[in-house]
Formats: sequence, C-alpha cells, structure tokens
Amino acid sequence: MGAGAKPAPFFFMAEALLLAQGITKVYPDGTVALTGVDFEVQPGEVHGLLGENGAGKSTLTKIISGLLPPTAGRIFWKGKPVRFSSPREALRAGIGMVHQHFALVGPFTGLENIALGAEGGGLLFPVRAEAIRRRVEELMAASGLQAPLNVPVEELPVGVQQRIEILKMLFRDVDLLILDEPTAVLTPQEVDELFPILRRLAQQGKSVVFITHKLREILAVTDRVTVLRRGRVVAVRKTAETTVEELAQLMVGETMVAQAQRSRRPPGEVVLRVRDLRVLGPEGRPAVDGVSFEVRAGEIFAIAGVQGNGQSELVEALVGLRPWTGEAELLGQSLRGKSPAQLSALGVAHIPEDRHALGLILEFSVAENAVLGRLAPFLNPVGGVRWGRVQRFAQDLLVRFSVQARGVRAPARSLSGGNQQKLLVGRELSKSPKLLIANQPTRGLDVAATRYIRDLLLRLRDEGLAILLVSADLDEIFELADRVAVMYRGTFTGILPAEELDRERIGLLMGGVAAEGARE
Amino acid sequence: MRAILESLLALALGVLVGAAVMAAWGRDPWGAYAALFTGALGNVRALASTLSRSLPLVLTGLTFAVGARAGLFNIGAQGQMLLGAVVALSCGLLSLPPGWHLLVALALSALAGALWALPVALLKLTRGVSEVISTIMLNWVAHWLTLYLVVQKLSDRVVGQRTFTVPMGMRFPVLQGELTWSWTVSVGMALFLFWFLWYHRQGYEVRAAGLNPRAARAAGISVSRAMVLALLLGGVSAAWAGAIQVLGRFPYAITSDLANLGNLGFDGIAVALIGRNHPLGILGGAFFFGVLATGAARMGLRGIPLEMIQIVQGVIVVAMAAPEALRLLRRLRARQKEVVPA
Repeated sequence: MGAGAKPAPFFFMAEALLLAQGITKVYPDGTVALTGVDFEVQPGEVHGLLGENGAGKSTLTKIISGLLPPTAGRIFWKGKPVRFSSPREALRAGIGMVHQHFALVGPFTGLENIALGAEGGGLLFPVRAEAIRRRVEELMAASGLQAPLNVPVEELPVGVQQRIEILKMLFRDVDLLILDEPTAVLTPQEVDELFPILRRLAQQGKSVVFITHKLREILAVTDRVTVLRRGRVVAVRKTAETTVEELAQLMVGETMVAQAQRSRRPPGEVVLRVRDLRVLGPEGRPAVDGVSFEVRAGEIFAIAGVQGNGQSELVEALVGLRPWTGEAELLGQSLRGKSPAQLSALGVAHIPEDRHALGLILEFSVAENAVLGRLAPFLNPVGGVRWGRVQRFAQDLLVRFSVQARGVRAPARSLSGGNQQKLLVGRELSKSPKLLIANQPTRGLDVAATRYIRDLLLRLRDEGLAILLVSADLDEIFELADRVAVMYRGTFTGILPAEELDRERIGLLMGGVAAEGARE
Repeated sequence: MRAILESLLALALGVLVGAAVMAAWGRDPWGAYAALFTGALGNVRALASTLSRSLPLVLTGLTFAVGARAGLFNIGAQGQMLLGAVVALSCGLLSLPPGWHLLVALALSALAGALWALPVALLKLTRGVSEVISTIMLNWVAHWLTLYLVVQKLSDRVVGQRTFTVPMGMRFPVLQGELTWSWTVSVGMALFLFWFLWYHRQGYEVRAAGLNPRAARAAGISVSRAMVLALLLGGVSAAWAGAIQVLGRFPYAITSDLANLGNLGFDGIAVALIGRNHPLGILGGAFFFGVLATGAARMGLRGIPLEMIQIVQGVIVVAMAAPEALRLLRRLRARQKEVVPA
C-alpha cells in the first residue's frame, strides 16, 4: 500500500482518493458489463486493474472517467459523492484517462497537443506560450517523461506519443491517471522506461490506475491489484503478497496450461514466396521497402515488430487491399493484380488486425458474418441466399470453434471480443485455405480466447497449413513462431530461427538496432 | 418491435404538438383530428384516395432507402421521378396494342430513371463527387427539361394547362374510386426490394458495403458495384413513381405547372425515414403520408386554415422521421471520425 495512514479500527481503509461502490452497468442492449463492483484507489499508489477482455475493465474506467453513466452505484472522489456527466467534468475534478487509441492531433506539435483544450492553454499569445512551455518542461523534469515539444506528434514513435498523452494529463493537474493497456503498443525497452516513470508519479502523490491483462506487468509496477472477472471483483490483493500463478487463476478462474511445443516435423513445400515487395503507405510514403521471405507448409513464419512499421501494409498488399510492386507467388502462381475475392479463391485466408474495421460487419448477424466473403456455396441458381443452410453452417461454426453467442441471429456486436474473433477465425478456416495470414490474431483478447486461438494456430500448423503471423506481442512470437522476421521501418532487420531468439536481441531489432550476425 | 414503439411515441408527440398549435390559435384540435381521420379513412372512397396518394411515395421512399442501405445519401428521386413521368407520358405518342402500351411505357420510364442515375454513380466512382451534390444538380436539370417538354412539346392543343392525356390502352385499370391497379407496381417494388436486400446475394452485398465498406472490400465484395446497383434500382423506382402518377391517376396527364407531380421525390425521403429505410416500413410510412394528405382536405372544411394544416402535418412528419434521421446522422459522423488517425 501507499504512504496512507494506518487503518483506524473502525474504518476499512484510510480515506480513499477514489471510492466506487456497488457499480452496476447494464448496456442498452441488455449486456450486463458490471455487477456491484467496489473499487478503491488510495492516494499515491499504482493500482493494477487486471482482467480478461470483457471482464469489465474498460467499462469501469469509462464510468470513473465520466465517459459512461453507471446504471447503479455511487462514486466518491476525495470523500465527496460525485457524478460526472462527461470526461471534461472528470478531468476538471482531477481524473484523467489515457486511452489505447491516443487523442492526439497528428500534425500538431507535442506542445500544441498538450495545451490544446486545457484551461489557460491558449498558445496564441507568445507570453502565454512561453509560460506553458516552461510549465511543461518542469513537468517533464519532475516526472521523467521526456518528449520533444516542437515536432509534429505523427512523426514521433508511439512510445513518445504516449508520453505526450500522459504529459497532457499532468498538465491538467490530475490526481488520478488511468492508463488503458498502455504497454500494448510499446517495445520491451519502452515498457522498461515507462514503469519507473509510473513509480515516480506515485511517489509524487499521484495515483495511477494501470489496466492490463499481462500478469508480469502487474507484478512489476503495481502496489495493489483489483482483479475483475465477468463484471465482478473477484479479488483485491497487495502485489507484494501475490504471485503470477494466483493472479492468473483469479483472472481466468482456472489454471492455465503451460507453453506450447514447436513443430517436430520439418516444414514442407514453399507456399508463399515474396521477393522485394514494396508497398506505399496511406500517405504515399513507402511503407514496405523491399522485403523478401518464404512461408512453407507446416510452419509459422512470424513477423515481429512494433506496430506501424509496415506490417499492416504488407498484409494488406498480400490480401489484395493495397497495390504493390515486386514478386509474390502462392504455390508458384503469381499474385499480381489479384482482387481480394480471387486471392481468397486461391486459398488465402486472412485474420485482419482490426476485426471491427475489416473482419466483421458488427450490425450483421452472426449468420450473415459467417458467410461474409464465402456466400457462393449458399446461393440458389438465381442468386438467392439459402438462409436455412447459412444458419446451419453458422450454428456449426459456433459449435466447432466454441463461440458463445445468443444464437446465429444475434448481431455480431453483441458478442464479446474473443467470441467475435473465434467467429472470424472459424469463417476464414472454413474456406480450407492454403495460407493463413493472421495479423495480431489475439490482440485485445482475453486469456482464454488467446489460448484457444494460439492452440488452434499450432494445430493447423501441425496439420500442414502455412501460416504468416504478424504480431507485436513477443510472448506470442516466442510461443508460436518457427522462424521470425523483425520488421522495422518497412524492412526486415533480421530473419531468425526461433531457437536463436531471445528477448533482449529481438527487442533491439524491433527498435531498429541491427543485430550482428542477423541474416537478411 | 422497438422501432414500432419508437414510431408510435413520435407520432403521439407530433400529434400533441400539432394539437397545441391548433389550440393556441383557438381551433378545436380534436375535432380537426377527427376530421383528418374520417377524411382519410372514413369510407371506401376516402380510403381509395388515401391509398392512391401513397402509392408513388412508396416508390420514391424506396429510392432513398436502397441508397441509404448502400451507404449513400441519394436525394435524386425528384429528378428521376419527373423524367420517369414525362417519358411514360411521351410513350402515348406511340401507337401500340392496349396493355402492351402500358408495359412499354413502364419499361422506357424505368430506363430513363436508371439513365438519370448513371451519371451520379459514374461521377462518384471516377471523380469522387458526392452523390448529394450531383443529385441536387441533376434534379434541377430534370426539372427544367421536364417543364420544357411539358409546356413546349407535349401540351394539349385544347386545354392549355396540361399535356395531352394518356391513351386508354396505356392506363392502369381503375380498381376503386381514385385507386387503380398501379398499386401492383408500388407494392411489387417494395416486396422485390425486400427480397433483394435480405434474400439475394447482391442485396446482401449492398447492405455489407453500406454498413462497413472496408470489411466488405476485404471480403471480396465490390463496393462500387453495390453502389451502382443501389443507384440504378433507386432510379428505376423513382421513375415509376412518376409513371404511375401519370398512367394511374387522374388527370392522366402532367399539369403545366408540374403540380400533380409535386414534391413526390423529396417527400419520399421523409417516407423512407418514417419507414426506417425498410421496404415494408416504407409501405406504412407512405400510407401515413397518404392519410395526412387526404385528411387535410376535410380539416380544411372544419375551418382550419391551410397553413395551419401544413404546420400540423410538418410537425407530425418531423417527429416521425426524427429517430431514423438521427441514426443516419450519427452513422455519418462516426464515419467521419474514423478518418482521423488514432
């Protein structure tokens, strides 16, 4: 626990900075996200909020930060009952949240972003601007968050952008900083830099709520941890008094199985061959700048790297969503100029990194999504859809891939993230593909769904499928990959067999430091 | 279910506000509403008139709805309707066997509507021109073109205020009072589009493209083809609205001020919104519009001034259309947000 006073005999705790009591949240569609949650943050502590996706972490923090109203329950801030009707009100009271997707204006500089919308943040007058700059520099010195202030933020690495987001909150003088999965987008080195900063903020009396589903991070940085499972608090622990095993069990409700095994069989024929592939990014700059690799049947070829180094463009090119130059062949057949439909027919299955934007149509039902891109077998001669067959097929997918849904007519939106992903994966695999391109297949999924997807990928590999895995999650790479390429600014800084990998080395490669002896 | 409840609430709200307006100016609102009701539905004759007025609105409503399902804001129904009407009428210049004459008129009218929608699609796909802009402009071109043809080329030699009348062999047979067999076109189109959107591959693709174009594209669906299809179908539907107004309703001609074609195209937008952009909902929405239009005459007999009747109609329509309109706007805004990089 933090530096709070010793608990008095009749009080449960020292006075909390934030106390939420009996928070219940029922969404308009009837989904119960939270049930009677009590959550309490002490001054000057880093408080971990641990739970699988769909456990209610983000709902809870959205309620605290004024983004969502609770259905029932009370919130006390510094001992007084409060009810924020907007994030702005919460921010004014001293509660700031840094979301996974940053709220930064790309072409603005760091300083402009920090001042934007803040009280007394007008940059128009040079005198004020100078004062603001001094204040931000003081904050940087005090917190250890160093970031360039004169560079447009879109030119900065994600880790630095995150620092600017945090500085933005500190500039608004928050007492409680909520970080939603802050490590998801960071390199290992950046994570190592972030944690001491959080500790330092806590020493200075700020409280930090740290949302994650990574157990190691909880142990590394928090004072206490609240574990959520299916919308209820299952435990509150002092970090010093708990273990990874206990937390994992609390979070999942069951003991997880250990690491998976590598392929024993030698890989088979070359399924995908890529030579000197070049792809332009959204802004017309080269996003993929000449990469070459092969993926063989029965192997998982992984591309590691921090997000935004060209992986998305590489994948979009290979599935026909982005023009490219160079060579790409699937089982000897050129992929040049092929449309997504043609590639799919050739046997390319795609698990996109953003399932909401690219993989599913959330307003569509489960059945309608189950046949997205593979409707042909369900048509009658005039092009009418045989919904009866589609529904049976969808029902079958739900069973085979253990997707939990109210039924095949339920909108995809009503499924949890993990179940949406399983539905999507099931659909792609039902095409009996030759090559599976999985881009961040477990990002944002809960532990059980992650386990499921990873086991599935391993099984498919053992059955001889060629898998191209793109992941920013090192654990995933280490667990699944047979060979690993590290992508940095559009090129591979190295391709290594899995046995030669270690965290330190791959971290350096991800950060653009070329490894000695790395093969091109 | 929820949609129906929402609509009923909106209706009640609209009716109450309308009543307040009438009461504020010293009229008897409930008497006026009773007149509206009996005027529109009181007997078979009234009902036939109500139905007859609602039929073209079904078709222009469908135009907007099928566009909205494809993610488009298609307000081109007005121009396509005018052209559909004038082309159908012009077919009266041909001499063909009865019955066949009607079918040929409908076919050519449909062609005209589709052709008028084509530039909208081409401009959007090749030049990125918003369909809102191009349809507004084409509406005006169609308006003046129609007016020119009606006044200069097709006008009746004896009765100057209208065009020649449609030959008997090209008219829809009368069913009852004002109601003719043109109802088969409206109801048929609504049922067809319902089947198309929910039971046909292409309709499925239209809806997918409208809800999430990126996901549709990734799944191998041609978003441009879906848009073109939605625009062409909309063009046909709107053209038929004009056609049945000329071929299936007194005066079986186009008046020289185009008054008997009126604002069918624009009213269709409100009808589509009331009907939640669903073909079957639109049947209801158009009927509702027909009730307001027919019943208004009886309200006038009760001493309610025309302007007040229009205010009451407007209030009720706005209330009924608001829920869907807000939903559309929210979706548009959400789409704009997506463009901003995270």
